[in-house]
Amino acid sequence: MSNNSFRNLCLVLQAIRETRGSNAKNRICADYFRSLVSQKDLNLATRFIGEGAFETFSGKRASVGSRTSATAAADFCEIDYEHVFKPCRTATGSSSETIEKLMANLDIARNKRIPCHLPLAEIEQIFESLCLVSGREEKQKILLNTWQRMTPVEIKYFIRILGQGSLRIGFEIRSVVSAIATAFNKDAEQVRYVHMITGSAGKTAVLAKTDCLDEAVFQLFHPLSFMLASPIDNRSVGNLSKYFAEEKFDGMRAQLHTDGHKVKLFSRDLNDVTQSFPEISEFIVNRNLPPTVLDGEICVYKDDTIFPFQLLQKRMGLKNPNIKILKKYPVLFISYDLLYTMKEPIFEKRLSDRRELLENLARTYGIPITRQFDVQNWKDMERLFERALAHGNEGLMLKRKASRYEYGQRKKSWLKVKKPGGSLDTVIMYAHAGNGKRGGTYSDFTLGISVKNDERYEEEFIPIGKAYGGYTDDELRKINENIKELAVERYGPTLGLIPELMVEIEFDDIQVNNRTKAGYTMRLPRFRAIRWDLSPEDANTLKDVEKIYRKKIEQERMRQGVNASILIY
Amino acid sequence: MLNVENAGYNGIYLPECRLAMDGSHPEAKYTFITHAHSDHLPGNRQSTVWCTHPTYEFMQRRGFKGKAHIIEFGDTIVLESCRVSVYPAGHILGSAMFFVEKNQQSLFYTGDCRTPASPATEGFDRPDRTDFLVLDATFSLPIYRWKSHDELASELRDFAIQTLNESYTPVFLGYNLGKAQELLHLLAPLNHPMQIHGAGYKLCSIYEKESVDLGDYGAYDRESCEGKILVTTSSALNRGFASNIKIKRVAYCSGWAALESCRTQLNADKLIPISDHIDFFEMLKLCDSMNPQKVYIAHSPNPDVLKYYLEKKGIQAAVI
Repeated sequence: MSNNSFRNLCLVLQAIRETRGSNAKNRICADYFRSLVSQKDLNLATRFIGEGAFETFSGKRASVGSRTSATAAADFCEIDYEHVFKPCRTATGSSSETIEKLMANLDIARNKRIPCHLPLAEIEQIFESLCLVSGREEKQKILLNTWQRMTPVEIKYFIRILGQGSLRIGFEIRSVVSAIATAFNKDAEQVRYVHMITGSAGKTAVLAKTDCLDEAVFQLFHPLSFMLASPIDNRSVGNLSKYFAEEKFDGMRAQLHTDGHKVKLFSRDLNDVTQSFPEISEFIVNRNLPPTVLDGEICVYKDDTIFPFQLLQKRMGLKNPNIKILKKYPVLFISYDLLYTMKEPIFEKRLSDRRELLENLARTYGIPITRQFDVQNWKDMERLFERALAHGNEGLMLKRKASRYEYGQRKKSWLKVKKPGGSLDTVIMYAHAGNGKRGGTYSDFTLGISVKNDERYEEEFIPIGKAYGGYTDDELRKINENIKELAVERYGPTLGLIPELMVEIEFDDIQVNNRTKAGYTMRLPRFRAIRWDLSPEDANTLKDVEKIYRKKIEQERMRQGVNASILIY
Repeated sequence: MLNVENAGYNGIYLPECRLAMDGSHPEAKYTFITHAHSDHLPGNRQSTVWCTHPTYEFMQRRGFKGKAHIIEFGDTIVLESCRVSVYPAGHILGSAMFFVEKNQQSLFYTGDCRTPASPATEGFDRPDRTDFLVLDATFSLPIYRWKSHDELASELRDFAIQTLNESYTPVFLGYNLGKAQELLHLLAPLNHPMQIHGAGYKLCSIYEKESVDLGDYGAYDRESCEGKILVTTSSALNRGFASNIKIKRVAYCSGWAALESCRTQLNADKLIPISDHIDFFEMLKLCDSMNPQKVYIAHSPNPDVLKYYLEKKGIQAAVI
């Protein structure tokens, strides 16, 4: 079999899937990378395994939804989508796995397929053509034509790669990067660094293969993956004096690139959000900064006060906002880290050194930065934490002074100390079949609050959100046993339940969402406990939810005065 | 018209014949048992049942205290209310299907069945046609299509050989009545010593009495199990079976192994979808060739798909 065929890539993916242990997976992938002769094929294979059909930072999407591929597959197999495909998908918990099985099992589908070893380059062209055409029908035509030339396992991974998400083989981008290092016998740290600054797994692989890792240079306006924080665990902290503390803002994380004339802002998922926040660009351009990359937070800021995330929401996803919106919800970019300055990436420097450079820059050019505090003991922490909450912020961040900028990783160098937003006693209204690892069980739950005595509604309960985590395996099993008896309706993968099972849900925040029946949604809802002791009579009401929300919005917010959370020179 | 009612956990009751199959019914005069899996046994351990000889022996070893009328494949038993013919089901050793005839009407009850038959059974046979068919539809979705037993046997053996070659201990997970012995039988040609969990071990001699070769096997022994081919259930593995052996590889052997999701749920290295139930495509074939006017879909977690296919063929279908 030719090495550069897509089928070969899929067999490698399946082998990785069927292997336990990261070393063994790493070896399989590394052997494969080494076996690819041309740079072009290596580039494509690495991209397909690590990122998807398109390079992550290209922002390109094929826009083929799961319904588009599922209905195309049903057509191809000549089966009914509603009556046959959907129940099969419920059983497997995965649309692409269902398609793989049907393509293999149904004689009609088998007879239509004449697998030929499509080379990787041709797959790339198919992805491009899917990106070029718009409309479901056009896209489906390409899918059907492609699938005719593939084996079932190719079809499964073709769909997953197209989705630009996880391939669900227990081998994410970090593993791909370390397989590149193994394949070409390079230093894993250096490969990781090159991946970081190029933002491209494919390019990194080619640079490693051709012994050119040293030539990789950081490019402005290519977003870097963000360094992430872990929830605090007091035991792991040790000596507090090794950390800086700063307030944790209730805003939107962003990365700012500028060369002095042009500004680009990237969100945490590396999307370009510059157009949503024109005043930030204007502010930065007016400051005449040298080429710089900053990590920080976008917050609504008015009258020397930081406003809650709920108000920032009015700006998110809104391109080119009008004057009225700009006046009502003005935003500020608050920097807390410096990644590139004086023509050099500095994320390998210690935080304390980066901080010094950031402070210099802030003083010279007048850009707002966070205040950092030294903490000696937990009493200091408590005082700062209370003050952060008084400012309307979420809590504190602890950052290890000696840490470098650990892009794309959630390690213990940054720790977040947060106060949970609150909790609600809710009733389970619907259970949804899980996907992937949770296939075959009901793992996602729509939760209801009471509107029985609410004149605005006729129902007894309305949904307030959906939770799919926070329970133990044992609790999930118990819930699954119980819902069987409570199920009264079935809508494909969803069961409608008699409202009886009570769960306490913890959330980070309550937000307005006018597209929902309740008008509110929870941020990061998760199970705190199954409340066998409560009955649906005890469920919280919509009025309770409104109260929590109003309290948050109307909370007195301490102005940025003497003990400010930010510094503006 | 032969009426069909539910009886017990998995069984049915035919009131006109006063005949219960795989379940108890207060008005039943006769209770026929297709095979010895616990979900098909009568609730009352003291009752009198009709079943094959291996089934009776399995039941006794698993705690059944009642009496049995022993029936043979090919027999037709003439009761005062109806005639019952006995066919081999291919599911586990001794498993039977019952063809009931009364007043020119017939009903074929499959219990659990597998065609092509599991190699560790007496085979699979059936009457040419029936008016009513009560069908084992455990795997009634088109995502289930089993490989041939030859292919599955090589998958099992290849996994065992490869694992042993790498100095790992292979562990096969399967239910301890039926699947466990089928695994021993299919792995026997490797001539490698095997050990089977105690609950399955005590049933093995019944297989050997019926001349099913189970190879070189013994009861599981924690101290000596390393390097042997091991056969056990997933729950025993979770409760410490061979937990002293760190380097082992686990293959899950079941129809449910067709689903990727059980890989992570069970922490299995290998999924081998070897089932002792009939697959979706064989179900359709069986319905086509037996040409029943009505099919009762039994044991199915998702009966609607088969119902949809049967109704498109003009065959009435009901879920039981």
